[in-house]
Amino acid sequence: MMDVMEEVLHAETNGTKGGRSDTVDLNDSSLQVDISDALSEREKVKFTVHTKTTLAEYTKPEFSVVRQHEEFIWLHDRFDENEDYAGFIIPPPPPRPDFDASREKLQKLGEGEGSMTKEEFNKMKQELEAEYLATFKKTVAMHEVFLTRLAQHPIFRNDHNFKVFLEYEQDLSVRSKNKKEKVEGLIKNFNKTTDELLLSATQKDVDEYFEKEKGFLLEYHMAIKDSTAKADRMTRCHKNVADSYIKLSSGLSQLGAIEGPRFEKFVNKVSEAFEKGRKVEGRVASDEDLKLSDSLRYYMRDTSAAKDLLYRRLRCLANYEQANKNLDRARAKNKDVHAGCFVQMAELAQQNACEKFEQMSEKAKEELTDFKMRRVAAFKKNLVELAELELKHAKAQVQLQKNCLQSLEEEC
Amino acid sequence: MADSREPPPLFDDDDSRKDDENDDLFTSAVQSPVSEGGSLTPTVEEDVEKPGEQTDPLSDSPPEAAAHSTIQAQPSDSTSSPLFSQSPSLPRADTPPMTSEPVDLFESCSLGGNDSEDVTPTAVGPMTAGQEQVSTMSDPFFDDDIPDDPTLLMGSLVAPPPTPQQDLTSPALAPALHDETSCVLDSTTDLDTTIKAEKEVDLVPSVSASALEPVDMEEPTDDASNVVETEALPQNSSPGNPPVFLDDIDTSEIPLGNEPEEVSLDDNDDTGIFQSTAAPKLQLNQNDNEKKDEFIEITVTDPQKIGDGMGAYMAYKVTTKTNISYFRKQHWSVMRRFSDFLGLHSKLVEKHLHSGRIVPPAPQKSAIGTTKIKLGSDKSAESSIEFIEKRRAALERYMNRTAAHPTLRGDPDFREFVELDAELPRATQTSALSSAGVLRLFNRVGETVNKMTFKMDESDQWFEEKTQQIESLDNQLHKLHASLEGLVNYRRELAISTAIFAKSVAVLSSVEEHSALSRALHQLSEAEERIHTIHNAQADADYFHMAETTKDYIALIAAVKDVFHERVKAFQMWQHSQQMLAKKREAKAKAELVAKPDKIQQAQAEVTEWETKVERSQEEFERISKAIKKEIDQFEIIRVKDFKETLVKYLEALMTSQQQIIKVWETFIPEAKAIV
Repeated sequence: MMDVMEEVLHAETNGTKGGRSDTVDLNDSSLQVDISDALSEREKVKFTVHTKTTLAEYTKPEFSVVRQHEEFIWLHDRFDENEDYAGFIIPPPPPRPDFDASREKLQKLGEGEGSMTKEEFNKMKQELEAEYLATFKKTVAMHEVFLTRLAQHPIFRNDHNFKVFLEYEQDLSVRSKNKKEKVEGLIKNFNKTTDELLLSATQKDVDEYFEKEKGFLLEYHMAIKDSTAKADRMTRCHKNVADSYIKLSSGLSQLGAIEGPRFEKFVNKVSEAFEKGRKVEGRVASDEDLKLSDSLRYYMRDTSAAKDLLYRRLRCLANYEQANKNLDRARAKNKDVHAGCFVQMAELAQQNACEKFEQMSEKAKEELTDFKMRRVAAFKKNLVELAELELKHAKAQVQLQKNCLQSLEEEC
Repeated sequence: MADSREPPPLFDDDDSRKDDENDDLFTSAVQSPVSEGGSLTPTVEEDVEKPGEQTDPLSDSPPEAAAHSTIQAQPSDSTSSPLFSQSPSLPRADTPPMTSEPVDLFESCSLGGNDSEDVTPTAVGPMTAGQEQVSTMSDPFFDDDIPDDPTLLMGSLVAPPPTPQQDLTSPALAPALHDETSCVLDSTTDLDTTIKAEKEVDLVPSVSASALEPVDMEEPTDDASNVVETEALPQNSSPGNPPVFLDDIDTSEIPLGNEPEEVSLDDNDDTGIFQSTAAPKLQLNQNDNEKKDEFIEITVTDPQKIGDGMGAYMAYKVTTKTNISYFRKQHWSVMRRFSDFLGLHSKLVEKHLHSGRIVPPAPQKSAIGTTKIKLGSDKSAESSIEFIEKRRAALERYMNRTAAHPTLRGDPDFREFVELDAELPRATQTSALSSAGVLRLFNRVGETVNKMTFKMDESDQWFEEKTQQIESLDNQLHKLHASLEGLVNYRRELAISTAIFAKSVAVLSSVEEHSALSRALHQLSEAEERIHTIHNAQADADYFHMAETTKDYIALIAAVKDVFHERVKAFQMWQHSQQMLAKKREAKAKAELVAKPDKIQQAQAEVTEWETKVERSQEEFERISKAIKKEIDQFEIIRVKDFKETLVKYLEALMTSQQQIIKVWETFIPEAKAIV
């Protein structure tokens, strides 16, 4: 069954690609990146990254390469680790393709096959396939958004690694991290978290703007994380409600079959209405998912990236202050004969740190303002779309029920 | 008309006994196959016919008339006259102006009563016969037996509403009224004398004219009922019609004690059923008419806890609104506790199950829910409120289902339950722990074993099909109920998660530094909050409209199965008697071989005894089969109608919530667009 899905996916993503890259402004067409195709092979998903460019560094104006999720993560890490980009919000990495939930449900459905009629089973299966397809499309879209944001960025677009990622036709041969690296990564992560905590507790920020921003982002991240989880739960429940109409409508029509022709005709109309209503209800659930949960989720990640930026700046500030201290100490020891060169070195280091910190602060300020604007615009767009879709579906439901009631009336 | 198969003597005994014991008129009527009636019939029929001829021969009205009169009279009789209770059968034309009329009727009745009293002494012997005849005539089960064409009856059914009114004016009504009144009313009025005179005059013509058919007898009932309800009619009828009355009384010699009335009442009930079964299409029309004619609506409200600790119980206010004439008022309330409802149910089952009636099941006892309420801790306040509300709604549906059954709502116990403005005697039998409860448990186990072990060869295709249909219906309803429960649960979950999300978004909006976005998020939170309420209401609708109706029908189906089982038991009885008869005959043959005269005699006596038993049980079996057919047909019509109504209501509820959702989002859109 998965194979069938893959084919479907193959065809469908071709038609619908690019639907989610709306968070980024596409005015600049000098470097356009999209994912033109995606193919799911067992555990792996292969994305075809398609690039169109007018930039001179690229040898061809248009080309495509096949990339996997790990390569996206590699690319993200390159940006993340690059000191030069410390002052920027690094676009959050796309989430790992995760179809476990769908598979699990499919398995459950298979186990419960005996308890429902063939028709019900088929409908449930169809629903699951649709769900799987939706998850797949979303995954593709997230990867695409990551690339478009990089391509849109005035600095990131010129990054060498990015160019390699887009252009190099062979496999980048990034393997997924081995055990040792994973442990290292974990420790590093742990260190970073403790450092972050320590810094946020001990490091006094001279700049009020950043102090405020830091507090806001911390709080905001928590709030939005919570909202995302709750929104996910809500859409899941909505989906369940929609699915339970399947059993209801088939149960009713079977009841009609037992009751005899007069009632059967009546009940079939009702069950038909339920069936149609279910589809609308299912669409409400998936639209809520797309417009609400997903935009919340994306900005949860983005907030997290902004938080990282602030951490880096704070780290930088700490380094700068350390350099100051070192300089002071060196000057104190100035009486010493050989102290002169130490002072000089300390002065240099202090100067570097200061410069770096100031540059970074400036950049970060820009980035944070940009982040805010981006967030507000995205929320506005998605909220309006959400409301419009909700309205549309609710109206469709009302129309459906009205028609049904009318035809029932005629019947009687 | 009287079929040879009816074994008179035994039955009569039984009937009389039953009457005494149960006050169950219905059973007696049904059981008396009326062999005697055949002989008596001619006289009765003649009387009857006249009325019928005037308008239409159709409807079974006469008994009803009697019933009505009795009802009105009832106040005086009050609870003591159980017989009358059964009277309330279907077709009553609704003539709303009840208020002034009852009095009139009453008076007329009383007058009649006097007359009857006078008459009675003279015609004692004939009376019994006449009564029996009446019963046969009216008996729905025996309709076939009736010489007149059943088809005629059917035809008559269609037209019923118009006829009654005509009849009212016509003298036909009078007889019925008269009988009833005489029986019922003790009070005498001056009017009596006048009436008497009139009656006498009329009597002569009516007798001569009377033609004949038992069918006519039935008709009068409808008319009578109509009369009662309509204003002034009784009066009209009494003056003009009385003559007929007299005729009836004199000729047929129906002096009437309570018994005749009883018979007539039974007839009414039966006829009602009969009509429904006989001609479904007609019936639909009739149903409508009935609705107009008779109306009873019971609401159960104001659940309140009385007492404390384990002795506490819940009492409910049972409010009845009706225009049925045998109720004393049109609108009143009484307080009843939960066990009273159960007691009513078990009483009704006891009385009506064996005659093949589907008695709507009462809501289940719930030890957990009840205990919670009794302990009354604040923690469980919410869940017990929900529990009580569920139970209240279930009780209300139960009462209305029972009231919808023309026979059951006329049952004296039902009427006592609804009307008696005092505490009912405590129904000890309903408690699960009482000795009666244990006994019941044993009985039930026995029955179940019986059900499992005894397989009856079904000779009747109709029953075979119905049994199967009921079986698959049962399965399907269970499935449907399960999926509805699923839906309700999911929707409740959705409502809860929406509320949680709304709160979370409210927090997010308070954190958001961009003021316009913050405002929009706040609005979103409010919108979600409202949607939460809508979902919750919808979940209630899912539950109360769909899930509970389905559950009720699952229980009703169980009641239907019980009824089927009663029939199987009757069949077993019949089989058993046949076997015994065969044995006794064998014994007799042996005795003859041996040639012992005293033994032969004894064997002969036993053979005849078992012969009658066989006949009786066969008849019983046939009777219950017929009764069940009628009940099931009626049940099907009601069920389909009920489900249709439920579905329509449910769709409407769905539509309302969607419309509310539209409003919510419509108010939200401008807020979202206002983000700058």
